[in-house]
Formats: sequence, structure tokens, C-alpha cells
Amino acid sequence: MNFSALEVSKEWHLQEILFCLAINPNNDQLWFGSSDSKIYQQSLSNEDSERISYGESGHSSYVTGMVIAGDTLISCGYDKKLIWWDTNSHEPIRNIAAHDKWIRRICVTPDGRLFSVGDDMQCRVWDLKSGDLIASFSDHAATTPHHFPSMLYALALSDDGSSLATGDRVGHVAIWDSHSFEKRAEIKTPDLYTWDPKQRRHSIGGIRCLSFSPDGTKMAVGGMGKVGNIDHLDGASRIEIFEIGTGERLQMIEDAKHKGLVEQLRWSPDGKFIVSAGGDHKGFIAFHETETGKQVHVVEHSGHIHGLHVNFQTETMFTAAHQRLAKWSFGQPKETAETTPTS
Amino acid sequence: MANHADSGHPKQSDSLDRRSMMRLMGSASGIGLAANMNQITALGESRLNDQLRASGKRVILLWLAGGASQLETWDPKPGRPTGGPFAQIQTTVPGIGISELMPKMSTHLEDTAIIRSLNTKIADHGTAYELMDTGRVKEAGVDFPHLGAILARELGNIESKVPDYVSMYTSTEGRRKGSAGFLGGRYNPMFLTDAMMPENIQRLESITDTDHRERAELRDTLSKLFARHHSHPSFEGHNSAYGRVRGLMASDYLFDIEREPESIRAQYGPTQFGQQCLVARRLVEAGVPFVKVARAWWDSHGQNFETHQELCADLDHCMSTLLDDLKERGLLENTLVISLGEFGRTPSINGSLGRDHFASAWSCTLSGCGIQGGSVYGKTDENGNTVVEGEMSAGDLYSTIFAALGIDHTKEYMLGSRPIPIADFDSTPCYSILT
Repeated sequence: MNFSALEVSKEWHLQEILFCLAINPNNDQLWFGSSDSKIYQQSLSNEDSERISYGESGHSSYVTGMVIAGDTLISCGYDKKLIWWDTNSHEPIRNIAAHDKWIRRICVTPDGRLFSVGDDMQCRVWDLKSGDLIASFSDHAATTPHHFPSMLYALALSDDGSSLATGDRVGHVAIWDSHSFEKRAEIKTPDLYTWDPKQRRHSIGGIRCLSFSPDGTKMAVGGMGKVGNIDHLDGASRIEIFEIGTGERLQMIEDAKHKGLVEQLRWSPDGKFIVSAGGDHKGFIAFHETETGKQVHVVEHSGHIHGLHVNFQTETMFTAAHQRLAKWSFGQPKETAETTPTS
Repeated sequence: MANHADSGHPKQSDSLDRRSMMRLMGSASGIGLAANMNQITALGESRLNDQLRASGKRVILLWLAGGASQLETWDPKPGRPTGGPFAQIQTTVPGIGISELMPKMSTHLEDTAIIRSLNTKIADHGTAYELMDTGRVKEAGVDFPHLGAILARELGNIESKVPDYVSMYTSTEGRRKGSAGFLGGRYNPMFLTDAMMPENIQRLESITDTDHRERAELRDTLSKLFARHHSHPSFEGHNSAYGRVRGLMASDYLFDIEREPESIRAQYGPTQFGQQCLVARRLVEAGVPFVKVARAWWDSHGQNFETHQELCADLDHCMSTLLDDLKERGLLENTLVISLGEFGRTPSINGSLGRDHFASAWSCTLSGCGIQGGSVYGKTDENGNTVVEGEMSAGDLYSTIFAALGIDHTKEYMLGSRPIPIADFDSTPCYSILT
């Protein structure tokens, strides 16, 4: 993959903030979740086609996560709900009040289980077909050391589905057996949380994303380094890579030129590179060597990136960002970007 | 040309040093005070009535420094593009909804009026702070007193042995010391910036309490002897200032929340804001007429929603606990609790999921003394961009505060030959939220 050739090949401008996306490569469809509480379906084979809106009886707040399982789309949001959708009829199949606070992320295992994390600091396991709750567990304190509500932002599943990781606002990562729900290990990343005890007396930051290496032995943790002025996303974007077995930190990658939160991380299939995306007022996508921490390439984007899909086989990427949806390619001829507002 | 009533007097230092305070009060507030009180006089026939009505009235200002978001507190817009992710919750007052970030306050609105229609126009921290802390736009040549100083003068007792204007602001960002302006140093705040306990008001260890008391008695005796042969009103003020110093020295216990039962401290919770609210309750209970508790820093240009999850949790818990505590002690009827900042935040959400400065359509609350609880005044449009009903200026808010406390908002101070109304020209109280 020629990282340095990365460029936007198609961009859609919208009014809303886009937080997440999912792609079904089999039918060439893309879905994204929005701040207007809706889910939109976009054809990729006909990029200028009118997108389909899901949502009149769906979420009532920001849609923050989604996964595809066959013909079913499962979404989560700040309304504390999990919703199963039929992607053919675009109608909800099941609607569950799943958490007591905001749901941040969901993921699905190959054997048909759905995991969700929310600001009630619980990781919950659901039967993908029935929607039944299988388990609920946590290793994360409800409040920060400074007596404020904590948040459970991050969730990741290993490629083989055997391990799960959860990460919170104060920099605590727990690694779990995804079948027994026993804690296997933990990692501390305190520098991703900034508490300002004097000037502003509140905090910012947190672990915003986690990603297992393809062999499941390493964990990449994304967020923002220490911040001077916590009124803004003014800290360097930061990635830390750990050996899970020993807890040893292998890499600490900070980029002061590209400030803000690392919202998404993806390892390359060979484990040699890691892709990160996020931003402050604006966005970035960066590529680093995992062995050395060396930055291979970085691209700036006009909107803070919240959602990322990378397909290393087709060498395409999609990003969901602040008022932007973009398709990226590595060295492909650039199409003329056109705008299609949602309303 | 306007006169500064306290011009030429020494400025009070930030910390309240005992010796400098005695010097200050002996000169500026003793001899000088008599001059001040002669020079700055209140006009209006209702002055005496006001004093009677205002007697025993107290104010606690919860200062939300940096600018809290009205959309995440008192004026939510759920489902609108500007509304953010939070839901609106129904309060115990039918028809009134507030942000889900304020669940405890949703059950405490029976004593609270929400004002949703402030349009104060100024959206930079420094100038907006001056506006909201004086109730009027800054004017060259006139050093307007801040709200605390006005209320210390209007509600305080000149003979009081407790402070009459205490301001707690322990964060450093946006810290600005309130000023008594032309009212003179007598009404400057006791300003706590680093510790919960005022510094330098304890008696020097090298002087025993007996020595200190005997020195005061000797000074008092000599003063009275002197006064037999030299009659002047300033001497009385001089003596009262010395008496007041000893009273202030003895008031340090009011800042010591360890004296409160554990159950009460637990109710206020572990945060500094909670502890300061408890100090505020102790102060007003002891007769301090104005206490400002600043909770910084709400300036959420990035991550507005996370910031408000933290800060609103603190505000919601501490404000509701304070109102409960005041009510249970029978103090709320005579104590006005104000929650206010220098401005609100933009309805639009920026790329960092933040909200920026916004002064065109924002909110505050008034609770307790003189307030028609369970009421909402004013209305913003469906996205919160503009006021569509009941626009209120900073001066109108001040008039309303004064009226709630039984102070005639048309009262004027004479600064030399120039009358200065305590609330800005053309401002009017919002009578619909007053009892």
C-alpha cells in the first residue's frame, strides 16, 4: 500500500456530525451514523445516488457506533439504546434500552455475540440473534479520582475473537477473555487523561480507541497527550503500543503537529503499520511503523474524523467526520468531489 | 466629571492582611468611610423602607466562570441540530423541562425561576465579566461597584463583625477580583484564592489574646477621652472599624467546615465546589450578606459535552444540596441564590464538539428570596439562536435581583454631583418572577 499516495477520491458534504460507519462489501453499501439521530445508507457503486434514511422510529440522540452482521445492522447511541435494523426494509427489528448511560462503541464476534460499552462503565454481551443479555462486567471506576463521572469510551476485539479490551477516561485498559469474561491483563495509560487542578479544575482526554495487533499479542491505545489549555483539543495526538503479556510499553507516538484525539486505530494485516485517525477542529490520518514508531505519512482532513473503515485488500478507506463523509484511495485517479446534502 | 470616592486611599491587597486591614479600615473605612458615606448618598424617599425590607436578606452567587452552556443546563433544545446529544427531562414543575444533566435540580425548581432570555451582546470573557459583575457597560472615568459590593452596602450592617462580601475563586483561569469601585475599600471582597480559610486574619502568635484585647481596650479608652474634646462623626467610624477588625479575626471559624457534622459535609460532597457551597451556607447563616462561589472553568471550546458532564454533575449536586440546606434551616426565604456566568455558549457545535462564546440568548437562575419559584421567564427560538420573548439585559437582571431583595432598583448613589442608579438606566425588574 502506497501510503504517501493517499488522497480523497470522493467527498460528501453534510450538515451533521458523523460518528461512525459500516460497510458491507458484498452488496457495496455503506452506512453511517449521524448527530441527527439517524442512520444513512449510501450506495458505493452509485455514489451520487440519493441516500436512504433510517430512523423515524430509531435513535433519539447521536448515533455513535454500528456493525453489520449479514443483512442486519446493529447501531448504538447516546440514547442508551441498541437497535437492530433490517437493511432490506430499513426498518428496526429490535430496540433495547441497553445501558444506563451513553453507549460509546459496539463490536461483533464471528460466533454471533455483540459487545457494547457505555458510560455506566459496563461492558455488556448480547446474543446477536435474540438480543438477550448474556453478561455484564466491568473493571472501570464510575468516577474519576477527582469525583466526576468517568466514561468508558473504547472497545476492541482481537482478530480471532478470543480477547476483548475496554478502555476508560482515566487511562485504564482491561483485557478480557471474550468467552469467560475473566480479566486477563490490564494496561495503564495515565498520560491520555489530563486533570487541570488549578487553572480550570476539570479534565479532558481519555482512551478513545483500542486495537489488537493481528496476532493478538500487542495493544495499541489512542487518545491525546497531556494538554495545557483544556478548553481546546490542544494536546498532541498520541498512540501507545503495549506488549499485552508483560504490560511493557513498546512505543509512545506523539504528534504535536497534529493535535487532538486519536479516535480510530487499525493495524495492517502484517502488523507492520498502524493507521490512526482523529483530530481537533480539523482531522488527520496518519501511518506509523509499529516496530519503530516512525511516522510514514500523514494526511490532513477538513473535518475531525470520528469513524474509519480501512480495506487493505482493495486499498480503500472511508472516514466519517464533522460534516464530511469521504472515500480515500491510494494512488487512484481523483474524481471530482460533489456535494449532496442530506436535507 | 465623575469623582472616585476612594481616590487617594490605599488599595487593598489581594490577601487580607490583618495590619494592612486595620490601616485600611482606620483610614479608608474609618475617617474615609465617613467621607464616603457623606459623598455617596442614596437618594429616594423609599430608602428607609428599603433598609427595613432588606434587613436580613442574603445572597449567594454561584458564578459559572467561563460561560456554562444554556443548552446543557436550563434551555435544552433536544432533537434540534443545535441541541447536542442530551435529552430534556421533565421537572417537578409541570411544563418545565431542563437538561438531563441536571436531574437533582429537576426536583428543586419549586423555589427557582429560570431566565432563558438574557441578551447581553458581549462575548469576550473580560468585558462580559465586567458587564455581568456590575450590571452595566464599563464607562470611562467611573469605577462602578460590582454586585457583591452593592449588596454588601445595601444589605450589610455597618457595625457587623462578620465580613460582608466574601468571594471564593480558587481556579486561576478567569480569576478576577471583584471591586467595590466608587463605594470604597470598605466594600471590597474578602477574596479567597488558594485556601478555604482566609489568610492573615489570625492573631499574631507573638501577641496573646489578653494582650490583644487589652490593647484594644486601651485604644478605645484613649479614643473616648479624645472624643470628649474633639467631636467629629469620623471618630465613631474610626472606632467601629477597630471593633470590626476583632470581629473579623474571630470569624475564621465560619470557614472551617470541619465544624459541620459529617452528615452535612457528606451531603455537599467531596468536590471543592461542594465544600465552598457549605462555607457559603455557614457564612450567610452567620449574617454575611453576600457570598460569591466561583466554579470554573466552563469555557468548553472543545469537548463541550464531556466538559458539561463533569461540571453539570458538580453544579447540579451542589446547587440542589445548597437549596435544600438553606430551606431546611429556614434561610432560603431570605437568601437569594443566583447561578450566573459571563455568557452562555453557541448553539452551533464546532469541529471539536465544542461550543464557543455566546451572549445573544442565554440563561441564568434565581432561587429563594423574593422569587416566584417554578417559573420560567423568556423564550429562545427553536434552535436557541435568538431571544423571541422577554429579552433581558444585564441591567434588567440587576433590577430584578434588587427587587427580589426588597431594594429599590431606582435608588441612586450620588458620586459628587452625579447621580448613579444602582441598576443601569432604563432597566426594569422582571416582576413576573418575583413574589
